[in-house]
Amino acid sequence: MSDLTVVGKPVTRVDANEKVTGQIVYGYDLTLPNMCYGKTLFSTKAHARIKKIHTEKAKQLPGVIAVVTGEDLAWTHGESIKDKPFLAQGKVRYIGEPVAAVAAEDEDTAQAAVRLIEVEYEDLPVYTDPEEACKPGAVAIHEDYPKYRKAEFIVPGGHLNIAEHFKLRTGDVAQGFKESDLVLEERYFVPMIQHAAMEPHSAHAQWDKESGRLTLWVANDAPFRALNEITEALNMPKEKIRFINPAQGGGFGSKGGLKVEPIAVALAFHTNGRPVRVKFNREETFISTLTRHEAVVYSKTGVKKDGTLMAREMTIYWGAGAYSEKSPTVCIRGSLPAPGPYRIPHVKVDGYAVYTNKPVAGSYRGYGIPQGAWAGEQQMDEIAKKLGMDPLAIRMKNIFVDGDMSYWGEQLHAVGLKETLLKATEAIDWGKPAPATKPGVRIGKGFACIQKPTRSPTTSNAGVTVDAQGEVTVFAGTVEIGQGCNTILSQVAAEELKVPMDKVHMHPLDTDVIPYDASTTSSRSTYHMGNAVRGAAIHAREQIMEAAKPMLEAEMKELSYADGKVFLKDQPQQALPIGEVVKRKLGINGVVRGDASYTYEIGKDLELETGHSDHASAFYMYATQAAEVLVDEESGRVRLLRMSAAHDVGKAINPLNCVAQIEGGVAMGIGSALHEEMIIDNTGKVRNPSFLDYHLVTSLDVPKMIPIIVECPEPEGPYGAKGLGEPGLAPTPAAIGNAVADALDVRVYDLPLKPENVFWALQNKKKKSAA
Amino acid sequence: MKRQIQFTLNGARVSREVPNHRLLLDLLRDEIGATGTKEGCGTGDCGACTVLLNGKPVNSCLVLSGELDGVDIVTIEGLKIGPELHPIQKAFIQDGGAQCGYCTPGMLMMSKALLDQNQNPSEEDIRYALSGNLCRCTGYAKIIQAVQDAAAEIRAKRA
Repeated sequence: MSDLTVVGKPVTRVDANEKVTGQIVYGYDLTLPNMCYGKTLFSTKAHARIKKIHTEKAKQLPGVIAVVTGEDLAWTHGESIKDKPFLAQGKVRYIGEPVAAVAAEDEDTAQAAVRLIEVEYEDLPVYTDPEEACKPGAVAIHEDYPKYRKAEFIVPGGHLNIAEHFKLRTGDVAQGFKESDLVLEERYFVPMIQHAAMEPHSAHAQWDKESGRLTLWVANDAPFRALNEITEALNMPKEKIRFINPAQGGGFGSKGGLKVEPIAVALAFHTNGRPVRVKFNREETFISTLTRHEAVVYSKTGVKKDGTLMAREMTIYWGAGAYSEKSPTVCIRGSLPAPGPYRIPHVKVDGYAVYTNKPVAGSYRGYGIPQGAWAGEQQMDEIAKKLGMDPLAIRMKNIFVDGDMSYWGEQLHAVGLKETLLKATEAIDWGKPAPATKPGVRIGKGFACIQKPTRSPTTSNAGVTVDAQGEVTVFAGTVEIGQGCNTILSQVAAEELKVPMDKVHMHPLDTDVIPYDASTTSSRSTYHMGNAVRGAAIHAREQIMEAAKPMLEAEMKELSYADGKVFLKDQPQQALPIGEVVKRKLGINGVVRGDASYTYEIGKDLELETGHSDHASAFYMYATQAAEVLVDEESGRVRLLRMSAAHDVGKAINPLNCVAQIEGGVAMGIGSALHEEMIIDNTGKVRNPSFLDYHLVTSLDVPKMIPIIVECPEPEGPYGAKGLGEPGLAPTPAAIGNAVADALDVRVYDLPLKPENVFWALQNKKKKSAA
Repeated sequence: MKRQIQFTLNGARVSREVPNHRLLLDLLRDEIGATGTKEGCGTGDCGACTVLLNGKPVNSCLVLSGELDGVDIVTIEGLKIGPELHPIQKAFIQDGGAQCGYCTPGMLMMSKALLDQNQNPSEEDIRYALSGNLCRCTGYAKIIQAVQDAAAEIRAKRA
């Protein structure tokens, strides 16, 4: 690996210039010739039957081209349960659900027409709490749940409001608790939050009646999956649908699947071939696109006096919101590792994805890991405290190391966890006493560890072309959502063809041209697409070397390759640049293309009764973050002093980009730890759907961050790389929670750690100690 | 009500009849087609639409077109100095100040406004200046570093 030329270097982003000049065109910027404008009517009821929708007045408004409602559209979609209509059908299930849509000559007219639509509702009971929603007697939010088309891995949970029940069964937890010296049980809560990508959601669609083709222009980070979902919903052949990706202003999980797309598609069938644009403004994005699962986590842990973990039982209620979206897979992949990256002989986990009458929850950077960690990692500290142990010592005693058998039946390899643990804690001077503070102010330290799987098995395909000028073009379906994939994948192609970075170009994403890729999710791209691009570049190089044999009058074994040239091993001056080889072989307009496909071959499928699998994930990501906080006892305000984040990335293909991903993740994690929550009242209405009332992290909220790259190579990964996109925010709230508990000697069980929650935790403690 | 207005946009004269209630942001993006200025919230909370109006940073989503007669507006499209990137643009590239890039035009315009006033800002000055510009990708660390580096370059050029 020592001969790497570009991989491993802190190369600046290939898309930076067009971003700093404002030249790049995002989905929200896009204008199409002769387009019309769509607007949406959103439900004002959280749970109600639709008795009648009156659209006559809207249709009569001059300038209106089309008005559509769910009655016109029999289609449903969903990642693993087909439960979501394009527009509400028969009933509404959350405030913000799209009910009707209008296409008009301009946006103002479309909005005016939307206001003229009247809906008669008949109220139904509203469920805003996932635990309440699955109690006996709770009215079904989806009466037709049993009839929905579902993926084969879906396990119904008995109550109709349980979309998925994940079970993990290892050993005998009752026996484990019996053999424990200490058993702790507690309830933890993580509220609903939102991705809040800076670019709001939008979609453009056009239906061409002549060719029967539907084209979408949308910043969707899983265009092939979205294409498949529309294919299935409309029962259209795949080749009749095309996705073109403009630039995407962030996603964090919010822009996969179908959000605005169904509305644009529904309208496009009624605009006589004209393209239609549907944009959501910020408030609409807040209430009607996607959120992160609120979670109620019950965690019970048994441990020996010496700190050896014996048993852990967790019951997690994942608030899915009104439609299942990706809840089943969040429930599965979030619940599975929720007991933490530890050797535990007896484990029982029940994860329930529960329908509620709230905005839809789905994939969110971290995919269920932060919720489990908020409970599990805080409980680890509580146990350590009760046993009089150092939190670091109890982790060191139990954490996964290479070769360990995990509690889901998979033998682990390439486990860089211990190094992350030691480095992250060292970076904040763990173990050294905190400096003295003035009265009423306390300083504390804490940390948390996580392990995260990636979605498996999945496939990435890639093509790499070399033209007669020696220019290299990469055809890859990974979406540049800000994470830096275009730079990483360019580095991979540049590395294998040994050309400078400025010779490599990323082809724009268009599903007509680009080969299939599963999705830009789950921190999977560097590993999967990295392998595919690497394979395609090698394939192109091999063809060029083959073509060079007669040109250099040599056998393959006499040839070598470096610096973008094929040359004779013993006469290196006899060298042919790759462009020259292509030109001689195919002419001045010739192109050589290499192709490759990468699929991580999964072993045994997940056993639905036990949750066991011998290869649950293509690779695992490990991280430890450590925080030092200052807490004001009077107000409950938490201020971060410093935060370290050590992440095992396998191999840093671009250290600058790795640091960027870690810092960005940590900042997002800090927001979710200290102030982010979607406040939803008992009628199901979001009370803070704006950046004024929903507090994102600002430049004033971020402390000194200490990003640390740990490289424990994954043998299957390109150059040893794993993934990194998601884990940056996963241990953050638990690390800060542990630091707050260390500072105050009070545990806060509900996120966020806003002054109010910390204040009341302090008051309750005072009350208890007075009594 | 429509009104005839004249203003300069990135040094060029613009003359237009616009409805009084048209927002500067929409005028730029939808009518003039200068989409470099971004819409993140439309309510003045995120700073993505920051432009310079007579040299001062404003949220263009809060400015009515009727107020624009005679003003001078600079947007991201006018940040370059001739063919050269502005030092703040160069620093954003070098340091990795842009990830998804959607907040970047607003960040750059706000940073320019700061550096036009203060070529030697402290880290705290920078954090305060940018506190109304939201970024969801970077955690601000690389942005703050880029502003510091740009300031250093501007100072070095003056010296």
